[in-house]
Amino acid sequence: MIPLQQVLVLSALLFSLGVYGVLARRNAVLIIMSVELMLNAVNINFIAFAVYLAPNKVVGLVFAIFVIVVAAAEAGLALAIILRVYRNERTANVDEVDLLKW
Amino acid sequence: MDDITRFLPELIVLVTAGLVVLVDLFVPDKRVLPWLTLLGLAVSAGWTVGLIVAGGQGRAFGDMLRVDAFSLFFLFLFQAVAAVVVLSAIDFVGQMPDRQGEFYALVLTVATGAMLLSGANDLIMIFISLELTSISQYALAGFMRDSRSSEAGLKYLLLGAVSTATLLYGMALLFGLTGTTALPGIATALHSASDNLRPAYLLAATLLAAGFGFKMAIFPFQMWVPDVYEGAPTPVSAYLSVASKAAAFAIVLRIFFEALGDSRISSEWANLFAVLAAISMTLGNVVAIQQRNIKRLFGYSSVAQAGNFLVGIAAVSASSGRFTIGASGVLFFVAAYAFTNLGAFLAIIAISDAIGSENIADYAGLGRRAPWLAAILAFCLVSLTGLPPTAGFFAKVYIFNAAIQAKFVWLVVIAVLNTLVSAVYYLGVLRVMYLGESKAEGRVRAGLPISFGMAVSALGVLVFGVAPGPLLTAAQKAADVFAVH
Amino acid sequence: MSGVGPVSAFYVLAVLSIGSALMVMAARSIIHAVLFLVLFFVSLAAMFVLLSADFVAVAQLLVYAGAIGVLVVFAILLTPSREQRGMETKFVGPGLLAGAVVAGTVIFIAFNTNWPTASNDFPSTVDAIGQALLNRWALPFEIASVLLIAAMIGAIVIVGGRGVDLDPGAAGPSARLVRRER
Repeated sequence: MIPLQQVLVLSALLFSLGVYGVLARRNAVLIIMSVELMLNAVNINFIAFAVYLAPNKVVGLVFAIFVIVVAAAEAGLALAIILRVYRNERTANVDEVDLLKW
Repeated sequence: MDDITRFLPELIVLVTAGLVVLVDLFVPDKRVLPWLTLLGLAVSAGWTVGLIVAGGQGRAFGDMLRVDAFSLFFLFLFQAVAAVVVLSAIDFVGQMPDRQGEFYALVLTVATGAMLLSGANDLIMIFISLELTSISQYALAGFMRDSRSSEAGLKYLLLGAVSTATLLYGMALLFGLTGTTALPGIATALHSASDNLRPAYLLAATLLAAGFGFKMAIFPFQMWVPDVYEGAPTPVSAYLSVASKAAAFAIVLRIFFEALGDSRISSEWANLFAVLAAISMTLGNVVAIQQRNIKRLFGYSSVAQAGNFLVGIAAVSASSGRFTIGASGVLFFVAAYAFTNLGAFLAIIAISDAIGSENIADYAGLGRRAPWLAAILAFCLVSLTGLPPTAGFFAKVYIFNAAIQAKFVWLVVIAVLNTLVSAVYYLGVLRVMYLGESKAEGRVRAGLPISFGMAVSALGVLVFGVAPGPLLTAAQKAADVFAVH
Repeated sequence: MSGVGPVSAFYVLAVLSIGSALMVMAARSIIHAVLFLVLFFVSLAAMFVLLSADFVAVAQLLVYAGAIGVLVVFAILLTPSREQRGMETKFVGPGLLAGAVVAGTVIFIAFNTNWPTASNDFPSTVDAIGQALLNRWALPFEIASVLLIAAMIGAIVIVGGRGVDLDPGAAGPSARLVRRER
């Protein structure tokens, strides 16, 4: 049986990769992809805890479903805003979008 | 039926949002939309009063939603804030005939999310209501489609999404430690948890604080505030600075005082919040002094004010009888700040629309050109500084008192010094308005709806400053929800 | 999840997901990054099946690998970059540091905590999730639908209107559109 700790390590590594991507990537689309990475890491946690924990396992799974729903809504709106910024500025790089200080 | 009657204040607002979109589709005269929105908010407030009168407090939908003194306090606050924002936005939205309905609908969904958040009693419910407010606010920030507005929307959304992920990581850890998402269940599990679990609980609390810190706009997650306030349409900035912040503080109070309030970890997170409070205040005030744009100034000022609220959260250990003084102080301060900041922002909207500038230097001579607008802005600035006879004065005294009782004397010293620093820029705007030489001439006037909103806000600031009794009683009753059992 | 098969499958999938996530971070072209992101989503879906969360795995495939993957591809097609200079901001160092700190803290605590684990039998989750969504979590379930509509309205309002893209000199109904926009 895989120890719970190893699943948690996997999610921690994926989450920190997302943190790196958010800080280091220039393109707004890539930043959104990094956020999706972080949200997926969270989902691994929820499912691992749900599966390894005795009382009412379904709670974690339901939470994971809600995370997926919100991630989809957020990604949709994010790409709409990126599209609008691109039409205005002809770029999707966050450090070139500098009318306001970034 | 109890479920529905207790959920009805939110449901009415939600139905109004749908109606506004439909009416926008079928009715050519768009001027009815803001009044329909206000009508919905008024009906919702009326039903909330009915709930109090009929004693309809309790749980709804299992234990997803609580209707208690705490959530009722915030229901009224959010209804009032949304109504004032609608009043302030009528002229602004009137310039965009093709999407008026969507604007008011999004204002209402933000209010729905915030209202649900003040009563949410389960991590899943908290998450969903928080996201409802946030996503609607991202859309509102980018509403104008021009460069500045869409950049504000992009920046707000990217950083908001990161904060959501951080928050969720904290919630996942909390779920793993306790096996439940219900706040009372988490409190029970924490109470009986072994000492070995303490670091993990503290990590979860830190991640939650970081996630909510973005919405509260405190250090180190404050960098979006001035840019988004500057870039977003001004009525939206006013809305963000009040509703988003108040909702975040409401849920932080409920999670930290109810679920994580056990004395085994509460002193640690109280220290964390005390340090964040000191840094937020100092950073916000020092940077605000250098600002030339009035909206950026208010952005940094709101970071500093959030630091003031945090003082009350750090003072978790100061209790009087059954309730914690810190929590009631935060509630009073949030309400006072809401009216003050809305009054100030409405005055800024009216002035900037008339003189076509957001630069503080261009406010020179407004004391003569627009005596009423300048007086209201001046009065709100005095309240933000924390001078009598305003609500801001009483709020600061009360919350500092709580901090002293909680043995955070160093924090109060820093806070008082910060009040002096903040006086420099708040009163600096006053000096420009009344002593500066105006380049332009002519009277500056405001429309009727926005004037009405300003009058309501200024009256609130005055009444809560002169006679704070009723609001204070309400805040203490609300804080009583987190009574030490 | 015991026996040689599932255990080795776990490690294969763990390496695959971390590897594809690393490639998302390191890829020089955005299109490659998206392809690795979809691979990452799929490997996580397999991981969820392994953890006996079958319904979430299907949702992961449909929503993430399907919908979000396609959405991101569209976003990239609609926002082509002109130049191929660096893909990174000046925050590479702080980013590495922040990532290392987060991973270090969480892993340290994960190993030093006696997680309250228990044995598990997980026959079918679809039933249980359906019951839970429509009973205990009925209210968040309804609010989620409001959230999706709010996001949709927001996206339409922000993207809709062709004010910037159209040539103001164009004749016909589109020209009228532009003037109304301004």
